[in-house]
Amino acid sequence: MGRVVLHKTGRIYLSRWIQVLFHSNPYPPFVSKSLQNHRQSIHHSQPISINRSNLQIKIKMVTKTEETQLQQLENQVENEGGGAWEYLSLVRKLKLRRSDKVLKHGLTLLNDPKKRSALGPDEWTLYEQVAIAALDCQCLDVAKDCIKILQKKFPDSKRVGRLEAMLLEAKGSWAEAEKAYSSLLEDNALDQVISMRRVAMAKARGDILAAIDWLNKYLEIFMADHDAWRELAEIYVSLQMYKQAAFCYEELILSQPMIPLHHLAYADVLYTIGGLENLQTAKKYYSSTIELTGGKNTRALYGICLCTSAIAQLTKGKNNDDKEIAALAAAALEKDYKHNSPDKVSLLGSTLKTMKLQ
Amino acid sequence: MNNNNNGGDCKYTIHQNAYIKLILHALNHKTSAVNGVLIGRLSGEVVEITESVPLFHSSQIGLLPPLEIALITIEEYYSSQGLSIVGYFHANERFDDLELGTVARNIADHIYRYFPQAAVLLLDNKKLGALRNKKDTAPVVQLYTRDSSKIWKQVESNGPNRLTTKEPSANIVLLDFISSDKWNSIVDFDDHLDDISKDWLNSGLFK
Repeated sequence: MGRVVLHKTGRIYLSRWIQVLFHSNPYPPFVSKSLQNHRQSIHHSQPISINRSNLQIKIKMVTKTEETQLQQLENQVENEGGGAWEYLSLVRKLKLRRSDKVLKHGLTLLNDPKKRSALGPDEWTLYEQVAIAALDCQCLDVAKDCIKILQKKFPDSKRVGRLEAMLLEAKGSWAEAEKAYSSLLEDNALDQVISMRRVAMAKARGDILAAIDWLNKYLEIFMADHDAWRELAEIYVSLQMYKQAAFCYEELILSQPMIPLHHLAYADVLYTIGGLENLQTAKKYYSSTIELTGGKNTRALYGICLCTSAIAQLTKGKNNDDKEIAALAAAALEKDYKHNSPDKVSLLGSTLKTMKLQ
Repeated sequence: MNNNNNGGDCKYTIHQNAYIKLILHALNHKTSAVNGVLIGRLSGEVVEITESVPLFHSSQIGLLPPLEIALITIEEYYSSQGLSIVGYFHANERFDDLELGTVARNIADHIYRYFPQAAVLLLDNKKLGALRNKKDTAPVVQLYTRDSSKIWKQVESNGPNRLTTKEPSANIVLLDFISSDKWNSIVDFDDHLDDISKDWLNSGLFK
C-alpha cells in the first residue's frame, strides 16, 4: 500500500511539501553552543575544532585532472612511495582540507633533518601548513611547537600572529581569539584570511546568524571572493532561506557565467522554492549546465526530468512546455547508465517512468 | 495506512550492517552534515530496520532535486523486496549539536506521512567518541518518533522502546571497521550523482 501511495501521490506530495518548507519560519532559533567543532574522529580524544571549510575551495571546484593527480600522489605517499613534498604542495595549491594526511606526512618530513634542510626556504611554509593541519586535527601540542619555531624565525610576523590567534580559536578561547584577530585587523584591515576566521568562529560557536552577518560584511569588501559567496549560499540553504541563497548564486552567475556549478546550484535552489515560474527558470539553468558540461552532468539531466514532471503536474499538462528536451535528457541518462552503471539501467527506467517520462 | 498506530508503542531494531553503514558514512565526511534513509518493514509491533542508504553530505542536504531523485529511486528498488522507507538518519555538522534541525525534521515529516511509525536517528558524537573506552552495546544514535502532534520526541535510551541493534556485537564490529579505515569505501547517493559508476547500494562493502 505504501508503494502505491508514493507512486500516485508522491510527486504531488513533494511539490506541496515545497510550499510547507518554504513558508515555515525562515529564522529558526539557534542556541549558541559553547563548543563548536566538527564531528569527532574516533582517533582523537578531543573534537576537531576549527571550521576551515569557509576558507577553502570546496573539492568540487577542483578539476578532474587535478583530482586524479591528487589521488595518485596521495596513494603513492600513503604507500611509502615518496613524493610527500609534491603531495603537500598540491594540497596547498588547491587549498584542500586533508588535515590528517598533511599532518602525518608533513611531520615525517619535518622530523627528518636531511629532508628538512633539502626544502630550503620552503621549510617555513611547511611548518605553517603542518601547524594549520595540526589545529584542524586538534593536535594542539604539535601546532604549538610549529608556531614556536616560526616565531623564532620570524619574530614580528603578522602571518605568525595569525597562527597564534588560530591556536586560541582551536582551544575554544573565543574571546581571546577575537581580540587577537581584531588587533591584527587594525594594522591590516584588508586581510581576507583573518576576516574569514571571524565567520568561521561564529559558525564554530553555532551562532549561524552571526556567521551570516560577518560573511555579508566580508562580501561588502571582498565582493569578488566567489568561495565566500558559495559559502554564504550554502549556509542559507542549510537554514532553508532559499531566496537568499538564490541571490548569492545570481551574483556568482553574473561574475562567472561559464562555471556550470553555479548554474546547477541555482537551478536546484529555484526548484526547491517551487512555483511554475521558478520551475521553468530552473529548467533553463539545468539546460545551460548541460551545455556548459557537454551533456555530461548527471544532476542536470535528472533536473530536466524533474522540472518537466513537476511542471506537467502543476499545469495538469495544459501548457506548451517543451517535452522534447526531457525525452533527450532521459535518453542521455539511459545511455550513460548503460555504459557506466549497467546494473542500474532498469531501475533508472522505472524511476523515469514514475516521473512519467517514459 | 494504520494512522492510529502511535510510533511510541513500537519497538525499534536495526540490523548491524544498516547501522554500521550510517556511522561509517558520517565518519567519511567528518566536516559536514550527512543524512541517509532507513529501509525496512513493520513486523507486528516492531519496526525492523534491515537496510540503510547514505544519501548526501553537506550542501546537498536541504535541496529538493537530489532528494527527490534519491527517494524515488530507493523506493523503486526496495519495494520489489517488500521493503519500504521506514526512517531517516541525520548527523549534524558540529560535534556537540544534538538538535534535530528544520531540514531534518521536514524530511522526517515527509517520511512520517507514508510511515507513521517512522524512526529518526540522530548521531550522538560523544557516544561515538566514547565507544573505544566504554564497551557499550547501545547504538550511538538518538531515536526520535512522532505522533499526530508535530513534535519529534526523543525515545528514552534506557526505556523499553529504545533502539536496539539486532546483533549485540554491532559496536564491536563497528570499531573494527573504523580501525581499518573502512569508511573510505562508503558510497553515498551524492557520490553516485557525481559518478554513476559508484554504487550507492554499497553491495561490496561487507564482503
